[in-house]
Amino acid sequence: MGAVYTLTLRQLSGKWRLIIMTVLAAMPVVVALLTLAERGAPTVAEFEIIVFSTMLYGSIAPLVVLAIAAAAFGNEVEDRTLANLTISPVPRWQIALPKLLATITIAAPFIALSAGLTAHIAFLGDERATIAIIVSALVGVAMYASAFVWLGLVSTQAIGVGLLYIVLWEGFFSGFVSGVRLLSIRHYAIAVMHAIDGRRFADAEHLGPAVAITISTLVIGGFLFATVRRLRKMDVP
Amino acid sequence: MTSAAQPVIRVDGVSRWFGSVVAVSEVSFDIMPGITGLLGPNGAGKTTLLRMMTGLAETSMGTITVFGEAVRDNPPLYRRMGVMSEHETVYGFMKGRDFVRMMARLRGVTDLENAVDRAIELVDLADAQHRSMQTYSRGMRQRMRLAATLVHDPDILILDEPLNGADPRQRVHFKHLLQKLAAEGRTIVLSSHILEEVELLADTVLLIVNGKLAASGGFRAIRAALNQRPYHVRVICDTPRELAGAIVKLPSVDAVHVDPDGALVVLSRNVLDLQIELPRLAQSERIRLRRVEPLDDSLESVFGYLVDQ
Repeated sequence: MGAVYTLTLRQLSGKWRLIIMTVLAAMPVVVALLTLAERGAPTVAEFEIIVFSTMLYGSIAPLVVLAIAAAAFGNEVEDRTLANLTISPVPRWQIALPKLLATITIAAPFIALSAGLTAHIAFLGDERATIAIIVSALVGVAMYASAFVWLGLVSTQAIGVGLLYIVLWEGFFSGFVSGVRLLSIRHYAIAVMHAIDGRRFADAEHLGPAVAITISTLVIGGFLFATVRRLRKMDVP
Repeated sequence: MTSAAQPVIRVDGVSRWFGSVVAVSEVSFDIMPGITGLLGPNGAGKTTLLRMMTGLAETSMGTITVFGEAVRDNPPLYRRMGVMSEHETVYGFMKGRDFVRMMARLRGVTDLENAVDRAIELVDLADAQHRSMQTYSRGMRQRMRLAATLVHDPDILILDEPLNGADPRQRVHFKHLLQKLAAEGRTIVLSSHILEEVELLADTVLLIVNGKLAASGGFRAIRAALNQRPYHVRVICDTPRELAGAIVKLPSVDAVHVDPDGALVVLSRNVLDLQIELPRLAQSERIRLRRVEPLDDSLESVFGYLVDQ
């Protein structure tokens, strides 16, 4: 697994990709600072909804992850080097899992730092809230990563499809249609945060801690399984 | 390795279609140890067939076994196979040695550094192994890819258009290398659309045309069939009707006619003799030849002739 993991880290660590991720990750921090500096700042609950739920979990985290995860397999499908891996005598999960772990390895520090700084600023150093935000953001990263790594393998238009998903499903429908929240990674991440720090997001609908952890595990495992299955069944270019 | 009686690779009634396009149609053959060339024009279905033989693509119909096992979705079997695809893309950010080492690790090679040394030595690229593959010529990339294919010492080598980008010296080196590997009992399958390439390298030929197996067997038998095929030769001269009258008497000529544009079209089953007899005839009849050209020397026409036989 180490060879695939190392290879994927190298493939995904392009300069421009890292610059884009840095800019995206800095945005919640900047917005938090600007919001707090303004007079007539929104209430804490509104702030949580706007900065964390909508921006961090619903936009920044999935965008950062999409920029990396879609390329984890997508680039190799495109330049036809995927065969180097699939003709190797390793079980397919030993190709899919390191790809997922490499994606998380690159995306996680950006999102963790962004979430931690934003939470520290917003909650004035409240340690428990900051930890809750960081942990839930990382769970969100893992869920988005597993979904988008799979997407990069099944679609040559992974970036476009992923953007549509983020904007329409996570951004629009899950914000207005309550039933959609049961099928929204953003809301699973929020549920994990609420499980760690129940004081936060009091106004938001959320799932229970056990359900949140179970669903998060199912999402990650489900997409990983789908990726392995796809690797076994697909015609490798 | 395998016993002499058992085919190493068995392709049994294999077809593959993409929508309404049939890429490979009911192909069956066995491959034994030694060098087998898969020959056919571009678009004949060679790559699709090779991809199915390596497990990279699914068959629409039929079965392919390697050492008696289904090749598709069978990772443990891939330890015994070395595959070099036609696509020449490499990881540009990697040095040649790192690429071969990574492939060795993926294939579970234990004596890693020695295996990498040996493979790179085999393709004669020790001097360039610490350079980024981005800086390699096309031929060097192919050779380093071959090193990565050989690094785990596979029993079977499947090479799709391996001589792409190779210069004459590399071709000779490659020929000797494959002959050495085959002499050790390995099974080597390589594809090419160039007749001379396969003639240079392969003992046995599988001729694929329009997705079908058109001919198979020793190269000499196929070459003999090719030499007997009728050729059309176009001759442009000052006095075509006079030449037509004289040329039809040559033993190497089967028929002749004059085109409306005044060119002579000669049908010959012995084009080698015609090459000698025609200039002599022109000289003796004092006819000036302006141009002599084969009309059906394209690979497709050569393969088409064999398919018709």
